[in-house]
Amino acid sequence: MGLSTHAQKPTRFGGGLPLSKYWLLLLALPVLGALAFAIFQPIQVLPRIALAPGFSFTDQNGARLTSDDLRGKLVYYTFMYTGCDANCAQTVQGLKAIQQAVDEAGSSVPVEFVAISFDPQRDTPERLSQFATEHGLAGERWHFVTGDPAQLKNVIGAGFGAYYDQTDDGAFRFDPMYVLVDGWGIQRAFYRTPMPDPARIVRDINFITKELENSEGLNRLAYEAAHLFLCYPD
Amino acid sequence: MTAPNTPTEPIVTAAPEAARQTSIYSRILWMSVGVILALALAALLAWRLRPPELHGVLIQSPQEAADFTLMTSTGEPMSLSDFRGKFVLLYFGYTFCPDVCPTTLNDLKGMMEALGPKRAEDVQVIMVSVDPERDTVEQLSTYLPYFHPSFLGMTGTVEDIQPVASRLGIFFERHEGTSAAGYLVDHTAVVILVDDEGYVRMIFPYGTSGEDMAADLTYLMR
Repeated sequence: MGLSTHAQKPTRFGGGLPLSKYWLLLLALPVLGALAFAIFQPIQVLPRIALAPGFSFTDQNGARLTSDDLRGKLVYYTFMYTGCDANCAQTVQGLKAIQQAVDEAGSSVPVEFVAISFDPQRDTPERLSQFATEHGLAGERWHFVTGDPAQLKNVIGAGFGAYYDQTDDGAFRFDPMYVLVDGWGIQRAFYRTPMPDPARIVRDINFITKELENSEGLNRLAYEAAHLFLCYPD
Repeated sequence: MTAPNTPTEPIVTAAPEAARQTSIYSRILWMSVGVILALALAALLAWRLRPPELHGVLIQSPQEAADFTLMTSTGEPMSLSDFRGKFVLLYFGYTFCPDVCPTTLNDLKGMMEALGPKRAEDVQVIMVSVDPERDTVEQLSTYLPYFHPSFLGMTGTVEDIQPVASRLGIFFERHEGTSAAGYLVDHTAVVILVDDEGYVRMIFPYGTSGEDMAADLTYLMR
């Protein structure tokens, strides 16, 4: 009997040992889950890169447009001027392409366009309005704006990081660029090209729309986790 | 051990049987204790690793917030970078503001209280004036302590403040109204959180409660 209990002790602990492996596995599950989320990225989001600059400009109708007026909407920003001769065809093409891509994406969230002119001297509201209708870029979602030169440099140069400079002959040198800003006023995507790829615009709008559609309850937790784990598309 | 007159067989078989019985019971007991413990630990770990329920909007900026220097309500100029190591909550408002600013400053006061004295030491609330004409150093230094003794004010010229505000997504503009106090200033009413390393980490929309801001800060500070 004494022998038999001695013989059983090791089996009891021996039986406990493989079990403790399961316990460990159970303990590892949350860690593994978090790791799997970070590696396989079941949810992807566009990064929240930086705050978009605040501004108050005048649009093609002579009305005030501020960054606060655009809260809650997705906005594509671009920077241009209408006296652009040869570059103009490219600018217009880019603006039309972006409008077409946005229509194709067909988001449930309103998407608006803000083209900021860095040539306030010549780009009066009348001229901007004429430019808009001439190229079929009219409608309530199009805002052609300009304002005080110091504020323009601040917003376009410092805020959005887009370069522009006036040459001696009055023309402008500038880097064509488009920026996608979300309803919180946060920059979400950059397109440093005169002709953004429509497929990428559709993809990016879909990413943000999906995130907005999942901004409640448990889904919100999962999408916020995607931000924390940096689950960004390539 | 066994009496010589009793048959040995039944006793010999009964003893290991009883021992096996108790060993099975104790094994089940140990197993359940272990499983419960492991489950509790796993739940605890999952709770620790869970995505936080943040109330503000998290920003993962790859760049530090642009530095700036303005006059503070203490009478000395200070830069944003002087507050490295602290979590800075920037609010753009003005002392003549009728309702929006006092509400937010009250929420920020509630946040300081919810954080508790120890965590609050690593937090600095700064109100940058969008109405520098009326918000002098004296005006700010009498107005802000009403909410919390640690709150700082910043002011300067409109030309100084405008680029600072714009870079942080804030728009402000004087609005000639028929207010008893004279004019009003339209301004973006979010609270911006700059972390201890100088990065913009979060924005809190207008109306975020002090408890909610404190909860988010506690998560970021851990």
